[in-house]
Amino acid sequence: MIHWFHMALGRGRRLAAYAAAELPPAEHARVEADVRSCPACRREVEAYHLVSSTLRTEPPARMSPEQAAAFLAGVERRLRPGTAALARPARPALRELFWDHPRLSLASAAAAVILVLGLTLVQMEVWGPWSPSVPNGVEVVSIEAGEDAPVMVFQAPGSSLKVIWVFEKPTS
Amino acid sequence: MAGPERPSREPEDDRNLVDRAKQGDREAFATLVRRHQDRAFNLAYQMVRNREDALDISQEAFARAYTSLPTFKGEASFSTWLHRIVVNLAIDSLRRKRVAGTASYDDTRAVPGEPEAEPSTRDDPAIALESKQVRALLARGIAQLPPAQQAVLVLREIEGMTYEEISQAVGCSLGTVMSRLFYARRRLQQVLKMHLADLR
Repeated sequence: MIHWFHMALGRGRRLAAYAAAELPPAEHARVEADVRSCPACRREVEAYHLVSSTLRTEPPARMSPEQAAAFLAGVERRLRPGTAALARPARPALRELFWDHPRLSLASAAAAVILVLGLTLVQMEVWGPWSPSVPNGVEVVSIEAGEDAPVMVFQAPGSSLKVIWVFEKPTS
Repeated sequence: MAGPERPSREPEDDRNLVDRAKQGDREAFATLVRRHQDRAFNLAYQMVRNREDALDISQEAFARAYTSLPTFKGEASFSTWLHRIVVNLAIDSLRRKRVAGTASYDDTRAVPGEPEAEPSTRDDPAIALESKQVRALLARGIAQLPPAQQAVLVLREIEGMTYEEISQAVGCSLGTVMSRLFYARRRLQQVLKMHLADLR
């Protein structure tokens, strides 16, 4: 139980726990006696009670009937690009692929290092002023730094082939 | 030994729906969405106090829950797991908006066009006014709390979760939950104490 924590509390925490009725019965009775003989403590407890009682009677926020009816459709709209993840878990499969083929992991890591080094040199203007292209003629079409998975898209000039790099954050 | 057969009208258990959804049954997931959407919206709203953001966060939470279903092991209930996603998204949203200085609170729980439900105040206008003032003070106080404290306070005082459930939903220890809750309560208590002193 949680009572061990409250037992080791200072006066302020003990009063807060008392007001929230979270003390063990014996401790609750002891604090109650203290509060009865201490006007300052009573004011503290009164304000704590007001916080809890007001918050606990907050009317819930409700969606409009239209919003509620369209809720699922809104979720599905967000799902479209990643829907396949459930039927065929792409990310775990990719991880397994690298796990089963350590050489592939090493090659990918080396490619990533070369890419980062190249981009850094370009940015440091060792290879000329910054432009959205890298020395081998492949252009960086876009870089999106999303929270979950930064994405870089490369394309060779005159080619319709695009290479998409997704920097995946390890999932637990 | 097989248990008694469940009556067909009894709503299907979340766990079964999750299992079916994991197999790719989208209707099962749709049932989970319909079942939990109101609570997810309310939780998001209590955190961000903005209807549009709450809708955005709650829908995004379901989308993330769906794509993360293969990793859901069922150690917590589906709703606790979902609440964790909602809370994390709400905390992120609050932090982003506070850093950008774009946080906006509409503090309107009612559906647009409908009168807002007030807690019972025994038809006494003075008490009703007092209650409204207290609620407004608390809303402002909550908006100034650090998002992590805000999350714990909302889950405990408004959602009525136990400390253990909050610990699972927020992903921190019981001690941290209690500590955050104390600081949040104390901050709001100080706001109200000043208000009560003014009334006297």
